[in-house]
Amino acid sequence: MSEIALENLGKTFGDFTALADMNLTIANGEFMALLGPSGCGKSTTMNIIAGMLRPSHGAIRFNGQDVVDVPMAKRGVGFVFQNYAIFTHMSVRENLAYGLRAQGAPGAEITKRVKAFAELLQLETMLDRPAAGLSVNILQRLAIGRSAILKPAIFLLDEPLSNVDAAFRAVMRSELKSLQGQFGQTMVYVTHDQLEAMTMADRIAVMDHGKLLQVGTPLDIYNNPADTFVARFIGAPGMNILDGRLIQKDDAVSVEVPGIGSVDLPPALQFAARDLNGSDVQIGFRPEQVSATGSGLTMRVGLVERIGARTIVHLEHEGIAAKAVLPADVAPPVARKDWTFTVPEDGVRLFDPVTGQALKARAH
Amino acid sequence: MASIRFENVSKSYGDVLAVDQVNFEVPDNAFFCFFGPPLSGKSTILKLILGLETPDSGEIFFDGRPMRDISPPDRNVAMVFQNLALFPHMTALENVRFPLVERKIDGATIKARVAQVTDKLHMAHILHKPPAQLSGGERQRVAIARALVRDPVAYLMDDPISALDARLREETRVELRRMQQDMAKTLIYVTHDQEEAMSVSDQMLILEAGRVRQIGAPHDLYDAPNSAYVASMLGAPAMNMADTSDAIGALSTAPDIGRGTQTIGIRPEHLKVARKNGPGRVTAIEPLGATTVLSVEAAGITWKAALRGQPDHEIGAPVELSVDAGGLHCFDAHGNALSAA
Amino acid sequence: MTKVSTIEPVAELTDAPVKTGARLGLWLTLPAQLLVLFIALFPILMQVYISLTDWSPLDGIPWWRAHELWTGLLNYADLMADSRFWGALWRTFFVMAVCVPVQFLLGLGLAVLFVDDFRGKRVLYSTLLVPMMVVPAVAGYMFFMLFQSGGPVNDLLSLFTSDPVRIAWLSDPDLALIAVMLADIWQWTPLMFLILLAGMISVPQDQQMAAILLGASWWRRFFTIVLPRMKSIIIIALAIRVIEIFKIFDTLFIMTGGGPGVATETISVYIYKVTQQELIWSYVAAIALAILIVLSVVSVFAIKRMQRGQGT
Repeated sequence: MSEIALENLGKTFGDFTALADMNLTIANGEFMALLGPSGCGKSTTMNIIAGMLRPSHGAIRFNGQDVVDVPMAKRGVGFVFQNYAIFTHMSVRENLAYGLRAQGAPGAEITKRVKAFAELLQLETMLDRPAAGLSVNILQRLAIGRSAILKPAIFLLDEPLSNVDAAFRAVMRSELKSLQGQFGQTMVYVTHDQLEAMTMADRIAVMDHGKLLQVGTPLDIYNNPADTFVARFIGAPGMNILDGRLIQKDDAVSVEVPGIGSVDLPPALQFAARDLNGSDVQIGFRPEQVSATGSGLTMRVGLVERIGARTIVHLEHEGIAAKAVLPADVAPPVARKDWTFTVPEDGVRLFDPVTGQALKARAH
Repeated sequence: MASIRFENVSKSYGDVLAVDQVNFEVPDNAFFCFFGPPLSGKSTILKLILGLETPDSGEIFFDGRPMRDISPPDRNVAMVFQNLALFPHMTALENVRFPLVERKIDGATIKARVAQVTDKLHMAHILHKPPAQLSGGERQRVAIARALVRDPVAYLMDDPISALDARLREETRVELRRMQQDMAKTLIYVTHDQEEAMSVSDQMLILEAGRVRQIGAPHDLYDAPNSAYVASMLGAPAMNMADTSDAIGALSTAPDIGRGTQTIGIRPEHLKVARKNGPGRVTAIEPLGATTVLSVEAAGITWKAALRGQPDHEIGAPVELSVDAGGLHCFDAHGNALSAA
Repeated sequence: MTKVSTIEPVAELTDAPVKTGARLGLWLTLPAQLLVLFIALFPILMQVYISLTDWSPLDGIPWWRAHELWTGLLNYADLMADSRFWGALWRTFFVMAVCVPVQFLLGLGLAVLFVDDFRGKRVLYSTLLVPMMVVPAVAGYMFFMLFQSGGPVNDLLSLFTSDPVRIAWLSDPDLALIAVMLADIWQWTPLMFLILLAGMISVPQDQQMAAILLGASWWRRFFTIVLPRMKSIIIIALAIRVIEIFKIFDTLFIMTGGGPGVATETISVYIYKVTQQELIWSYVAAIALAILIVLSVVSVFAIKRMQRGQGT
């Protein structure tokens, strides 16, 4: 069991900054997802925690102890590689026993632990099978078991589902989540798939271009993204972001989106935006909060994707694109026609058009 | 432009019957998707269309013309490969021109043809770039344009975007759909991703072990699957399936089921979860923002319920399950759908 | 990136029309195949034929009329009783038993050193490969000079003794074989090194990382991950060297001519002498066939092991 603290952690390769001043504390037993597009620094962070890379500056503490100088074999970290790195020239049993043997555990102890883990992971029947040619979910279980048998305080997983079929990912996700529940270790999970992060993680750290943008629970991040990048990256599809202008009429502040319409602001945002009359702003709203009733915004309907339980409506107005997600029981709008929709007040978010930062809601 | 028709086509390899008495028609200009698990015969059907394989029995027609003796190049069907196979050392334009230059067609014709295709696919701004500088969707465009300049009667695409990031896949599938509408050509598509399949296609054909299980518009297949197999292939989370007796034990109101029902299917979005003392226990909560997926254990089965928004639930709390009137699917002992009660 | 669970079955990939195509291809290439078969088979059959006679080029009859001198299995019987043949064979195996393991261990050690980066690696690497590129005859002459009683090897040894060393390396029956083996080790360790290094580089990095993270020491990783994963390539390297040493000739012949006496006479040298000096061609044919059989058995064994190795 271990708490991980990253303090001003940075990594540069020549002129390239792979990771810039990362500060993050991962609580004991927490499932933390590092989420971002490729090249965002998430794998660099993970490799530094594991000890495969040495940070250019900053500290990593496990339970308060700086481990920068501790070699990776001594950090007590379990690592699950993207392709699982199973020793395919050995049997399942030899894979499971590898770490215990390496650490010189007595034979009886090894036999006992391997048996217990095989039961836990439901691998008893295949212990003596060669590890080559096992299916992916078995490989995943074996990779986790091989590390978990050493009872590492920390578990690191590097995009373990990226080579898995779409149809199979859901099964693998729930299996992984339940394994973590069984072992209770601190888990750091690197992924580019927001769905994996949302469904499994206790908290998500969203990264881009070597910077940590936001840390929070999945719903925190979904509901209150810190900036437009996070807003667009989380959700499928991501948040709609449109350029608009703040208009103050009497006491009410609304956002006008040129050519499309205007949206009223909830009281907390009205208060925050009170002194900004006339200034440019970006308005964000989730596609699934769009409702077909009422008035407010009008855009032309493009493609309509009917995907089982929901319908994604692609909207367009003079090069500005937006999406709406409707439940399957709502009749989708007609393609190539204008469509008027509303965004509920509490679904509206505002962002600074220059920095992309979210405008914080403020109470009176 | 062509419609493609299979009549009783079978193909086996040794003892393995890869394609078994298959009948279907791909209408002209349709986006037609083959969907099924590995081994279900999708690749064999593609090869039969391309002419790389000859059927053991049955006949394939393009616009009513039998294809048995027509060689692959003469069928004029284009294939876009999974890895796109663009030439990395050429610009997008050179890639697109390549098939025509290779055929020694005169310069003016090439120019006109390339311009026509690239205009249609709105790719003027990327023509001077090499593939390495293009996004996933743009590369797709180049690969398709390269296939299109030959003016094929139809395109085949075998899982072309599975290698992309989740986010990029969502964008690229929309691109693909737009492109197909722009170019107005028959597009035959194979994918493993049910959401992608439903998103892009006009019609889907669902295969199981070389046999056609159902053909239709994606939402028709989703709403009215003719079998438990088809029902389970579409939708994420997948449809809840339970023996009738278990379902009756789990649901608060006895479902109104037809005679001969063995299995009941309920889509996660049609399952209602009420926070009151019922036979169910919440075992997992997956908050996705737009929806919340609950796992509820009731009558010895784990049910998945996809609730809209972010309702308040607790792990371990008792709940009561019920189902919308139209949300019940009934299947007989063979897994065939009975008309819902 | 492989998508493990989406691989379509092999059956879907095999291609019925290709089979008919393959048959046509067979007919078209048949003349060429027959020619190749003839070229490979003819000398062997000719040898079998001659080995059953007492023919020699001095007999004045062409080889195809050798049956006039038919002796049946007499050559083979002679061979069984030929102590010089058995001596040469034993000597060859001895050289093999010493040189191959030494070359393997040296090559493996060098590969371990070279698999990681260090300063001056490239220069050293090129230097190490030089012996392999030296023409064997030249190498033979080099070692012939080195091991003269007034040569550099003795001069070097003299640095450590009070009296100048004057060992007659190449004329002492025991030392001559050692000198010959040293030359072979010098020349062929680089090949072993090269093959083993290639094998070592191809061992997946993440598997080694995984082993490190599981707490495995360097030695444990080496014996449980690196070596097992190099199995096929090790067998190839050993097979190449075993077969080559069986044919050891040029360097050795220039150094010692097989002498003193028969002290360094290996199978190849023996065959050469019987052919060129004693001109008993039918007997040579019998020897050559016997060796071909031995070598084939060794190769088949190695290939079998290799195929099993690739299964894992």
